[in-house]
Amino acid sequence: MRLIVLVFAVTLAWAAPAAAQQTVNAYSIWPENWARPMFEEFEKATGIKVNFVRFSSGEALARVIAEKNNPRVDVLFGGPVETHAAGIKEGIFEPYKPPSFAKLPGRFKQADGQWVAIADDPLVFMSNNKFLKENNLKPPTSWEDLLNPAYKNMLQMADARTSGTAVTRIFSILEVYGRDENKAFEYMKKERKNVQVYTKSGGGGTLPVGLGQAGAGIFFIVDALDTKAKGYDVSISFPKEGIGTSAEAIALLKGAKNPELGKKLIDWATSPAMQGLFAKHKINFVPAHPDVAVEPTLAEVLKGAKIFPIDDAYAGANRKRIVERWVNEVLNAKD
Amino acid sequence: MRGRDPALRLTVLVLWALLGLFVLYPLVCLLARVAVDGGRLSLGSALAVLADPHLLRALGNSLLLAALVGVAGTALGFLFALTASRAGLGQGWLAALDAITLLPLISPPFTTAIAMIFSFGPRGLITYQLLGIKGVSVYGLASTFFSETLTYFPIAYLTLRPVLAAIDANVEDMALSLGASRAQVFRTVTLPLAIPGLANAFLLLFAASLADFATPLILAGNAFPVLPTQAYLQITGLFDLRGGAVLSFALLVPAFGVYLLQRYWVSRRYYVTVSGKSGARTAVKTVAPWFRPVLTGACVVVAAAIAYFYLLLLYASLVVALGANHAWTWRHYHVMFTEGARAIRDTLIIAGLSMPLGGLYGVLVGYLVARKRFAGRAAMEVVSMLNYALPGTIVGIAYLIAFNDPPIALTGGALVIVACYVFRYSPTGIRATVAQLQQIDPSIEEASLGLGASTATTFYRVTLPLVIPAFFAGLGVVFIRSMTAISATIFLVSINWTLITVRILENMTELSLGPAAAFSVLVVAIVYVVIAAISRLLKTFSVPGGASLGSVLGG
Repeated sequence: MRLIVLVFAVTLAWAAPAAAQQTVNAYSIWPENWARPMFEEFEKATGIKVNFVRFSSGEALARVIAEKNNPRVDVLFGGPVETHAAGIKEGIFEPYKPPSFAKLPGRFKQADGQWVAIADDPLVFMSNNKFLKENNLKPPTSWEDLLNPAYKNMLQMADARTSGTAVTRIFSILEVYGRDENKAFEYMKKERKNVQVYTKSGGGGTLPVGLGQAGAGIFFIVDALDTKAKGYDVSISFPKEGIGTSAEAIALLKGAKNPELGKKLIDWATSPAMQGLFAKHKINFVPAHPDVAVEPTLAEVLKGAKIFPIDDAYAGANRKRIVERWVNEVLNAKD
Repeated sequence: MRGRDPALRLTVLVLWALLGLFVLYPLVCLLARVAVDGGRLSLGSALAVLADPHLLRALGNSLLLAALVGVAGTALGFLFALTASRAGLGQGWLAALDAITLLPLISPPFTTAIAMIFSFGPRGLITYQLLGIKGVSVYGLASTFFSETLTYFPIAYLTLRPVLAAIDANVEDMALSLGASRAQVFRTVTLPLAIPGLANAFLLLFAASLADFATPLILAGNAFPVLPTQAYLQITGLFDLRGGAVLSFALLVPAFGVYLLQRYWVSRRYYVTVSGKSGARTAVKTVAPWFRPVLTGACVVVAAAIAYFYLLLLYASLVVALGANHAWTWRHYHVMFTEGARAIRDTLIIAGLSMPLGGLYGVLVGYLVARKRFAGRAAMEVVSMLNYALPGTIVGIAYLIAFNDPPIALTGGALVIVACYVFRYSPTGIRATVAQLQQIDPSIEEASLGLGASTATTFYRVTLPLVIPAFFAGLGVVFIRSMTAISATIFLVSINWTLITVRILENMTELSLGPAAAFSVLVVAIVYVVIAAISRLLKTFSVPGGASLGSVLGG
């Protein structure tokens, strides 16, 4: 018993706050290896420390919603805008327009300032080089290339019910087919014959492609470049017909305990002050702020790629219906 | 029995208060959140999710998977328990067998599934490079079943081992000397006497599989959707908390059904084999000498399969990047002890607190529901199983909703995580205690009471030593789960408290297999050290007639 009391006492001592430094609390959807250096830079620049935990977008949103009567953090940092769009419906954000707001193009901000973009993240094709060589293939440069029977059972991409990556992919295909839904679905049904598995998360297929358990897939560029940086032998390519991109956002939480410090973090993250540091820390997001130049190696990868934004209004109005149609006609197709 | 026993009344009261606070209250809070739509009470929109035809298929798949895992896992656990208690193995063999069976229990999330894909994928190490099979699919029922059975069968082993050990060899001996063949003895004596263990093991495995979302998340693929994964995705993918909660509650129906079934099955017979009158122990003769190597061989095959996965994990922790660059490096361990130091410290504190509390709680509840008569006994047994049978995601969110706001604002601290572990992972201890008490003649305790000892003294001096293997099985499982669980606690970790498993998940997200594997190796090492220390410390408790402690948990 005495032991338990002692352990409790030690526990409490450990849990006690360390210092009276100004701190702001955040849930980060960006993986720690990107969020940590950004927050350290923020602390260097402002003296404000960021306490954070990292969650996947779905888990972060579920937590923020569950905690909305007594928020534990001030800022939701990163994550594709559709996560934030879902949050608006739950009334969890406090609108705030940082100084960069006026400079950002329309697709990088919510009109009331419920969220503001901090980066852009285009989709790419990523393929395993060994697989390509074994099958005498070149990295795919057209959506049609993915229909080649050589890819049978060797593609991995995300499930539209659970992943923003997948939704961006499907709306890319719709754009490629001039929003002719029947033609787009015709394509997706053909592509399905080559798909090994639709993964639950957007990056779920990167490791299998890296390990060669899958031949190729469609991923966000940050995930693909990260796979390459880890040493896996993969190629990154773009379809000549074009491919979509999705913004990453930041938002202030309603009822935040440190709203002023949270706003400072948002000011910093939406400005060139942070986005100019992506290159230094090898973060392969495309900056959202128009004044920040794209880092040369990233620019090299993106050179000649046809990338188009997904029309928010169109996607927002049709998303639910399109995903349902995808589940019925593509995912659960009987062939 | 004695209705006016103050110690009993107080214990029951305290346990109900705890169950009320940490099991019922969070679920009620969650239900309230689900049932209220825009300020009005309405279940319509939440129940709409049940009308989805795909979900019916997912429910069917879940039941099929849980039943298969329950049967196969119990059979495998029985095989190991039989080998350990009846094949006459030496101490060294027993220790090795125990050590390896413990491994899958310690399996941190996601790592085994990745090892499966690496080994059995279309270009897998075993399927393609070793056997040259092309075009296999690693996704579906078979691999999910295989992975879950291998992960959960040690629970059956831990439940069955004390039960088999406690079956007096004299009973089998008598049957043999009365002219029964060994097969007959096994079929008509050993197996029937093991029924409480088998029933409880099946219940635990069935519920564990029914609530597991992580394995199917990676391995089930698209052709084999299961309900807990759908519930998880409903919440984290479609941002639909209400739909996900309804799906999770739907899982309670089959779990409750199996509970009733096992109770009915066990209640029809009498299983006492430990009475006050047992004679001298005789050597076990039920397993024919020629059959012993067969049993041992079968165990060795399973053990080899387990060892393979963990050697792969160890290898992944020691190379730069598995599958890309196989140069040796210590880097991942360096990362672990620097960036991961806080997670290691937090995890050890939390697991260290959960272990004794969970062990005590498990054996108390098990003792009360198996031995005592008081109002609401059956209800207590059911309520104590609730958090175990629900998918972790939903338990985590329920805790978050219940304990985030005043009056009981616990989130952000360690206590809420400890409570989550104690009330979610103690059922192994409860079931093991119940199974073991069903073998022990109540007259032993009645004698103690009759001679004037109080309920508390009797429990402490008589019952506890008799059920001590179950107590440590339960305590060990709570410790192991505290080191490895993620599904519920992902919602309870905070800026103040983080866990090793969260680091592993994070590493997997960052495609850093190396540090993820290094953390897994560390977890395995810690669990072995702690379990070995406990069994050493408590060898003195060992009771003649009970299983030897040292081997119950692989000491």
